[in-house]
Amino acid sequence: MKELTQKQIFNYLFNNGIENFVGVPDSTMKYFIEYGLKKNKILITTREEEAIGIAVGMSLSQSNSLVFMQNAGFANSLSTITSLVQLYKIPIIFLIGWRGFLKNDAPEHTKIGKIQPKLLQTLSLQSKIINEKNWKASCNWALKLIKEKKSCTLILKRDFVD
Amino acid sequence: MIRKEAIAIVVEKIGNQPIISANGFISRDLLEVCDKNSNFYMIGSMGLASSIGLGVALKKMKKKIFVFDGDGNVLMNLGSLVTIGMTKPKNLIHVVFDNSSHESTGGQPTATNKIELSKIAKSTNYKVFQAKTKNQLAKTFQKIKLIPGPIMVIVKIKKGGVVSKRINIEPIEIKDRFMDSLKK
Repeated sequence: MKELTQKQIFNYLFNNGIENFVGVPDSTMKYFIEYGLKKNKILITTREEEAIGIAVGMSLSQSNSLVFMQNAGFANSLSTITSLVQLYKIPIIFLIGWRGFLKNDAPEHTKIGKIQPKLLQTLSLQSKIINEKNWKASCNWALKLIKEKKSCTLILKRDFVD
Repeated sequence: MIRKEAIAIVVEKIGNQPIISANGFISRDLLEVCDKNSNFYMIGSMGLASSIGLGVALKKMKKKIFVFDGDGNVLMNLGSLVTIGMTKPKNLIHVVFDNSSHESTGGQPTATNKIELSKIAKSTNYKVFQAKTKNQLAKTFQKIKLIPGPIMVIVKIKKGGVVSKRINIEPIEIKDRFMDSLKK
């Protein structure tokens, strides 16, 4: 996704009540993270579960959070999602980079990239793939769910290989 | 001193201030010792009490936030100490009840009698206090009242003791009443 769009997504979410951006970096969304760092609104953690824990604490304090990660980190996070976020019904927006979307991505991403859509479905975690065209509508969808105290996921495809 | 006795001493000292308590026997003991709306009992997500506590501490800077943790929990999420050390919340007090074992799962050993948790915590910008007796524990909580965090209090406890009942409050209710207590 283009640099400008990633910045626009950050601004749009921030201006619409998402106060905290916590997570582990992913190159798929590097412009989003760089921009948030410049604005001093990003907290980078050591692991994804930790980021979710912090976001939960912020949510308990009435401050909405987005947790960003690569899908490798999404795999790390399954137990935290089921036994914390979903058990206590905590509203969080997840932004997950979809590595392994392209067939020729690096080999470590192949399996998780393939099972990611089914994993989300199995978890009953609502998700939308966010792109250049639908980003505003997708953000509005996520913001609406957060207002309804539900968690959801925005997926960013890794549509390039470096 | 067993865990439940230690928890009773700490709870008496901190009154109605918010507590995030780790899953397993720690939350169960806390529930029996003194159930309050300002207790957030974790049921799953082992290791994350300090992360949740950090999130609350960063957003509720006027309140002191207490984390009740176990040695197994801390070792599972050492990265959290790094993030706490980086963000340096002045209002976070991390209490670790240390019996060098995973007591909730049958008493298997942890490594806290072979490594020094206090050194790890110090190197991540915590001010560290240790208590081995009831008297020391009560004095420590008196002493840290005016000291800015992040603070870690390592409480050495005996393995074993009583087994408290399971958490019998619905997770959603635990959340709702904790959130209400934070508004006050």
